[in-house]
Amino acid sequence: MNWSMIWQLFVQTLNASTPLLLAATGEIIGESAGIANIGLEGIMLISAFMAVYADSAFANPLLGVLAGLATGLLLGVVHGYISAYMKGNQIVTGTGVNLFAAGFVAYSIIAFFHVAGYYTIDLSLTVPKIYGVSPISISSLIIAVLAYYLLFKTQIGLSIRACGENPEAADSVGVRVELVQTLTSSIAGLLTGLAGAFLSIDWNASITKQMSAGRGFIALATVNFANWNPLLGIAGSFLFGFFWVLGEWIKNIGWLKQLIPVDLFNTIPYLATLVVVAGLIGRSRPPKYVGVPYKRE
Amino acid sequence: MLDARLREHLTGFAEVVVAIVAGMVIGGLVMVIGGYNPVNAYYQLFVPSLTTGYGVEMTLSFATPIILTALTFAVGVRAGLFNIGAEGQMYMGALGAVLFGAISIPSILYLPLEFIVAAVLGMIWGIIAGILKAYRGVNEVVSTIMLNWIAYWIVESMRVYVIPNPVDASKTVSVPPAGRLPLLVEGTELSAAIIISILVLAFTYFLLWKTAVGYEIRAVGYNPLASKYGGISVRRVALYSFIIGGFTAGIAGFCEVAGRPPSYAITTGLSNLVGLGFDGLTVSLIGYNHPVGILLASIFIGAMKAGSRNMQIYARVPLEMVQTVQGLIIIALSIPGLLRIISRKIGGVR
Amino acid sequence: MPSENIVEMRGIVKVYPDGTVALRGVDFDLREGEIHGLLGENGAGKTTLMKILAGVLKPTRGVIKVHGRRVVFSNPSDALKLGIGMVAQYPALVPVFTAGENIFLGLSRRMVSRERLVKLMNETGLKVELEAVAESLPMGVRQKIEVLKMLYRGVRVLILDEPTTNLTPVETEELFATLKKLRDQGVSVVFISHKLKEALAITDRITVLRRGVVAGVVETSRTNPEELAKLMVGREILFEIKKKSVKPGGEVLTVEDLWVRGDGGEWAVRGVSLAVRKGEIFGVAGVEGNGQKELVEAVTGLRRVEKGRVVFLGRDVTNSDPQELYKLGLSHIPEDRVAMGLIVNMSIIENAILGLHRSREFVNNFGIFKNRRMVEHTLKLIKEYEIVAGNLNNPARSLSGGNQQRLVLARELSKNPSLIVASNPTRGLDVASTEYIRRRLVDLRDQGKAILLVSADLDEILELSDRIAVMYEGRFMGVLDSKEADVRLIGLMMGGYTLEQARGMRVV
Repeated sequence: MNWSMIWQLFVQTLNASTPLLLAATGEIIGESAGIANIGLEGIMLISAFMAVYADSAFANPLLGVLAGLATGLLLGVVHGYISAYMKGNQIVTGTGVNLFAAGFVAYSIIAFFHVAGYYTIDLSLTVPKIYGVSPISISSLIIAVLAYYLLFKTQIGLSIRACGENPEAADSVGVRVELVQTLTSSIAGLLTGLAGAFLSIDWNASITKQMSAGRGFIALATVNFANWNPLLGIAGSFLFGFFWVLGEWIKNIGWLKQLIPVDLFNTIPYLATLVVVAGLIGRSRPPKYVGVPYKRE
Repeated sequence: MLDARLREHLTGFAEVVVAIVAGMVIGGLVMVIGGYNPVNAYYQLFVPSLTTGYGVEMTLSFATPIILTALTFAVGVRAGLFNIGAEGQMYMGALGAVLFGAISIPSILYLPLEFIVAAVLGMIWGIIAGILKAYRGVNEVVSTIMLNWIAYWIVESMRVYVIPNPVDASKTVSVPPAGRLPLLVEGTELSAAIIISILVLAFTYFLLWKTAVGYEIRAVGYNPLASKYGGISVRRVALYSFIIGGFTAGIAGFCEVAGRPPSYAITTGLSNLVGLGFDGLTVSLIGYNHPVGILLASIFIGAMKAGSRNMQIYARVPLEMVQTVQGLIIIALSIPGLLRIISRKIGGVR
Repeated sequence: MPSENIVEMRGIVKVYPDGTVALRGVDFDLREGEIHGLLGENGAGKTTLMKILAGVLKPTRGVIKVHGRRVVFSNPSDALKLGIGMVAQYPALVPVFTAGENIFLGLSRRMVSRERLVKLMNETGLKVELEAVAESLPMGVRQKIEVLKMLYRGVRVLILDEPTTNLTPVETEELFATLKKLRDQGVSVVFISHKLKEALAITDRITVLRRGVVAGVVETSRTNPEELAKLMVGREILFEIKKKSVKPGGEVLTVEDLWVRGDGGEWAVRGVSLAVRKGEIFGVAGVEGNGQKELVEAVTGLRRVEKGRVVFLGRDVTNSDPQELYKLGLSHIPEDRVAMGLIVNMSIIENAILGLHRSREFVNNFGIFKNRRMVEHTLKLIKEYEIVAGNLNNPARSLSGGNQQRLVLARELSKNPSLIVASNPTRGLDVASTEYIRRRLVDLRDQGKAILLVSADLDEILELSDRIAVMYEGRFMGVLDSKEADVRLIGLMMGGYTLEQARGMRVV
């Protein structure tokens, strides 16, 4: 193993973990206020598409990133409003978003790019790298640290977490619970949107109809692993990102390829997630009222 | 004064209709933005599949598997769980059935064995999530999705390496003619699978409402605390519901292999299977997780799927629009009292 | 010397959405710089009245005036802005936050000043460790945090709901010292309690509520325990139910030195021993929140017993499963029929067999229901217990409260139990159903069943029990024979006096 290989491994892991980190950080903020969004998968997918669309339409990756952000923000606001103010069933809403996204992206690739299933963009249209590392990846680390600071070192963070742990206590001192929940949900959507943009116009230079490939759900597992702490989320997303990369690397090991069908290695990230989550019981503690719409009287 | 239960049913029905309309309207907007004509699209989507003989046959044929995957979700919800693992459980079931395309056994054994192995594999896949939930407290949303993906790659790798079709690289081996369900109508895709599907539906209805096991499942779903006071084991109920859900999804896989002409196999990327689990979820939500509702909803969604090709050909709208509208309907369904909210905004006085 | 009324409440009526009438026209005055006790039993309406004042609930009718001006509160922070704050019985703190974080919750950075808080702590004598995490702190300290939270925001009307529920005597002393200091500084305190001793020790005036109306307003210095007990509990009751004089048989249930923890980890039952015999109704009286719920749950297998034993028909059943207990002949009428006793979305028939649903009587060898038997069983119950039900397939929530409770009773008794544990069995019921259920319990006792009756309704305890224990702060204040029991004695014990002390206070 030489330095170049190690650097490669690091960059690949970083790439794999970036979307997880972004989505997980956003969801940590959202769930800390009490709103669970299982539609991250769908938000990521739609934002990935919108990023490609804007990028190719205007030949400008920055606009692509902005489009991804805006899409995620919009979807986050909708989810937040339905969950916080309309007291909707958060799991059903999230599932609906995922289904909508799957259909919408597949449909849109055909409708707007006139090809079926996937669409590639020229490498010149991807987000420019710094020494081979994406600025979005670097941002994701910074954002996670900022999120930690926000949640645990500021008064605002206190109010956010109170909404998720004991909304009654928050209400009794004048915190506007539903508003906080909608705002945090929007942030979750925003960051997931960035994750989607990263997937399509940064890391992969394409959009496929199954681009998110379960990452939204792995992000949920990361939130759990991180015990709702963004700094641990960095560790968690690297762990799961590593397993993604591992799957790919193992595929190249000659003698293993003879023994085991190569497609089976694709199960590694999902198996790893299952194993990690199964081992978490009792060790992680969700916000007490996450997923429960706040009702008075 | 209408009976209380009847009034509830009617309100529920109205809520569903509102959600469907809302979903279709927004879907229509999406089509307009894409430069399509939504009215024509919806016409092509529904009218031929419900009014022509061939259309109805295809509708029923498409309804077949989604009745079963809807049951997977419904039995879960009735127990208070969110089992969205029908996809994976179905893939494993289909694998179980299609394996018999590579084995030589007496003709008469094919169908029963395919059925049994499909059911067993589906149940095993389901119970993994059940055990994780009951004994490790793993959130079943995450676990079932992970299991879906794992099942996908297992079956896909089997398709390529273990049971590929020597003649046609786009699918696995087909089950032999002895292992295929008879067609009900020549020239269509409507096979006896629909009968099996409806029988399983009836069986599940019977199970849920006429047996002690079903009673416990429903009790826990309604009120886990009172159930505990009544001596019911919540953990056991969770396991039951995953086993039953895995069973029906496994049978769905069987139906798609043994009952789906012309291939009677699993195609590349599991394309003939992917999405059926989530279609079932839509069906169950629209059908209020009740067998009668599921039956009606499956015809609705089945018609949409049957008509999707029409819509693609004649209205030029990509058939993925169907899934888009389904997602919108589900989002609308998640809002409680949607009917009340809309009627308040429109009418004011009720 | 008379001082200004800082708060005036007039004609307050509160009817809950489900129809329960909590307050029937209550007037309440609070002066500046006084400690005003609000006394009464469970269901008297004390908490409801104060929740309205604090902006948590809206009154159905009535007027609130603060400083002479009429006000309407839409939420708690409206009341906070006018300086009115309430500390609930179980403090609404965020368990994972520190004391400091809880106190400063919701304030902008500008308003957060550690110095100001420390100064406040010194002035009031309420000292807490700001870095300690709330859930690790004892209830007494949590309460101090809540009080500081209010005072830091400039609250001048401080409402405390049963503040000494979970305090040790020393903590109670400290609290009282603090309250006196606050009063001297001009703060008004409303002290909600059912504890006579304490109300007499700390308050300036006392308003007594009974069943949603004001029973009386007295100056503390001019009243005594007997008068208060009488106001709280009401007139002497006539024993309406004639009980056969039955000689009790052998012990069916024995509880030895039971120690059980509550939800928050604190001790809820502290060394309770009792025995219930055949043909006897053993009543446990006391205001809710003194450990009765945990005692019942421990006996019925729904809560862990940490120390001590439960013996049922000679067998040690400590920490057994509910199902095992039911097989042995225990049946339980829970205190919340909707949350615990019935599955209201299921049909009447389905509820009639809950707990029996696996018996061979209703289920054949394949696990399939024998529908006819179930219907017969339900009809029998309905007839025997005079339940008014429409279509038997209607959901149980279509039944009235009284009929629902009859259904629970009927079902539990159809199991032919040896021991019946009944928890507040007539709560919230109409007069006819209440009468009926009480009569039924006496019949069962006459037939030789053992009954453990836990109730916050003193009338009920006195009417039905053969022997009575009064539970207070997790202990029995005493066990007495029903012949000796009267309202006054029991009222005093419910207020914290032991049996010996209460007996000793007979002569004034």
